[in-house]
Amino acid sequence: MKLLDKYNRLNITATIITFVIGSCTFYFLLHYILIHQIDETLMSEQQEIVAFANTHHSLPDIIRTKDQYTNYETFNGNTATSFQNVRSGEKEEMRQIQFGVSTTDGNYLVKVAKPLEETEDLLQVIIGVTIGMIALILLVGYFINRIVIKKIWRPFYRTIEEVKSYRLTDETLRLEQSEIDEFTLLNQSISELTERVQRDYTSLKNLTGQAAHEMQTPLAIIRTKLDLLMQNEEVLRKHAQHIADMEQAVQRSARLQQSLLLLTKVENRQFALDEPVQADAIIRQKLAEFSELAEAMHLRVAINDEPTLVKFHHHLAEIIISNLLNNAIRYNAANGKINIELKNGILTIGNTSTQEPLDQEKVFKRFYRVHQGEDGNGLGLSIVKQICEAAGYTASYNYVQGLHTFTINFKPAKF
Amino acid sequence: MKVLIIEDEPVLNKSMVAHLSSQQYLCESATTYRDALDKAELYRYDCIVLDLMLPDGDGLHILQALKKAGKTDGVIIISAKNELDDKIKGLELGADDYLTKPFHLSELSVRINAIIRRKNLNGSNLLTFEEIIADTSAKTVQVTGNDLPLTRKEYELLIYFVINKNKVLSKNTIAEHLWGDDMDMADNYDFIYAHIKNLRKKLLAAGCTDYIHSIYGMGYKFAIR
Repeated sequence: MKLLDKYNRLNITATIITFVIGSCTFYFLLHYILIHQIDETLMSEQQEIVAFANTHHSLPDIIRTKDQYTNYETFNGNTATSFQNVRSGEKEEMRQIQFGVSTTDGNYLVKVAKPLEETEDLLQVIIGVTIGMIALILLVGYFINRIVIKKIWRPFYRTIEEVKSYRLTDETLRLEQSEIDEFTLLNQSISELTERVQRDYTSLKNLTGQAAHEMQTPLAIIRTKLDLLMQNEEVLRKHAQHIADMEQAVQRSARLQQSLLLLTKVENRQFALDEPVQADAIIRQKLAEFSELAEAMHLRVAINDEPTLVKFHHHLAEIIISNLLNNAIRYNAANGKINIELKNGILTIGNTSTQEPLDQEKVFKRFYRVHQGEDGNGLGLSIVKQICEAAGYTASYNYVQGLHTFTINFKPAKF
Repeated sequence: MKVLIIEDEPVLNKSMVAHLSSQQYLCESATTYRDALDKAELYRYDCIVLDLMLPDGDGLHILQALKKAGKTDGVIIISAKNELDDKIKGLELGADDYLTKPFHLSELSVRINAIIRRKNLNGSNLLTFEEIIADTSAKTVQVTGNDLPLTRKEYELLIYFVINKNKVLSKNTIAEHLWGDDMDMADNYDFIYAHIKNLRKKLLAAGCTDYIHSIYGMGYKFAIR
């Protein structure tokens, strides 16, 4: 439920209850006051009649008026003054006072009545006005909520929109100042939060790059020392295998570290991704470089391409294609095949393999390997994915008709 | 031939000196920016091996200083920064080559050798080893005066061997030299074996002595037995 709806609901309920209680109280109060007033009028009438009787020892003549009915009845006994509501023949509500008066003719019971019609009319008007007020206040409240509150809340929704579209890789979130303190506070808090998160994220991201970077010199030392060590015949005779193993390990570390550096740089958007790049030319060139590997495995390579110019970074485009071709060859089966197609800005590279279909979700994840201990460092495809994302393209994997198929869509991805 | 090695990490510096000295280079080393700048400005070297990240200065400034002084020393940058921008900047400022850490010493030799050959204006482009003569500008090889047709990979392999003669070269090192860094040749040394087999066959057929010795479990060595 929207805050506004919730507020409206509460507001309207509370208003109605308040008005109902208020109106009832008002009604009874008013009713009481009006009756009291009539009673006072009737009492002054009584005093007049009593005063007349005292002076003239007889009752005054009955003057018939529209709003006062008087009648006398002979009566024996002691009568106290009392008020009561009575109904006349036409069911008109009346307020009546009765009291006893003694004259020379005897004792009389005097009844003076006044119709309540006017009072009722007055009450009706008052209730009508009250209901009208409720309706008016509710209506006005509704419009205030709709228009004014919506306007007041606008900065809030703007902030929400900003936060929604915010990504960690973006620049710092810039939120506007608001006239309303609460929103300014909210914006401030969010800005501070994102700044802090961004700082942490950046430092963490840079750590990877820096760590990889710092590893290069020690690796260079190990590698050169191994180069020197293997020149020693005595050592070589005894420890050739150890040295070879160490060399391989250094090689792997070096590759891993270079991949991490590359990933960090791609994530940090350190490449300009708007060079015109002839994708088909790169594919052909890379294919030529890999031809020796492909031939050694007796792979049949089919290529079906058309000249395709894409907005990219030349070196990164080479890396993507190189990584994909490398995988297509390395995980291929002997006498297998590779199908390459570049049509309508979509590149697909499909290859046969001894491996089962891969997990579409995991295949682009870092350090994902189907089998442990494979020689790849598990970063090749995640580099492909990252580069594509940075350039606004999409990379996907499918298993189609026995072919592990990777697709790069060079059409700008739609968000 | 004189080589100046500018590298602030003393152990790495020593490794390079040890390796290059064994290949008839006269090596001097500098581990600080100040020292390096003094030496580069005072003396003439055939090649300067330059680390870009020095504790007291930027290696690129040494390059600029050399250029300003009109010096033509060959420069090869070795850097932990494998960033493309740095590479391009270095080459624009007049460096001749760029090598990323960690590198193989044999690779460094090949690069230095190539730079010196290129810089050596009046000198020859000939590399010789016994009866083998390689013309590096025409990319041709002769054995006892007869042309020896080689594929590109075989030619590269031979040059690599000749420059790193008498050195044990691991398969790994050779693979990286022939196929570069981005091609993942790990565990797949059959290719090297095939190329070496072909090269040896051609050399022997041309009447050349067999200089390629295989070192068990390790790699190869190009040397007179």
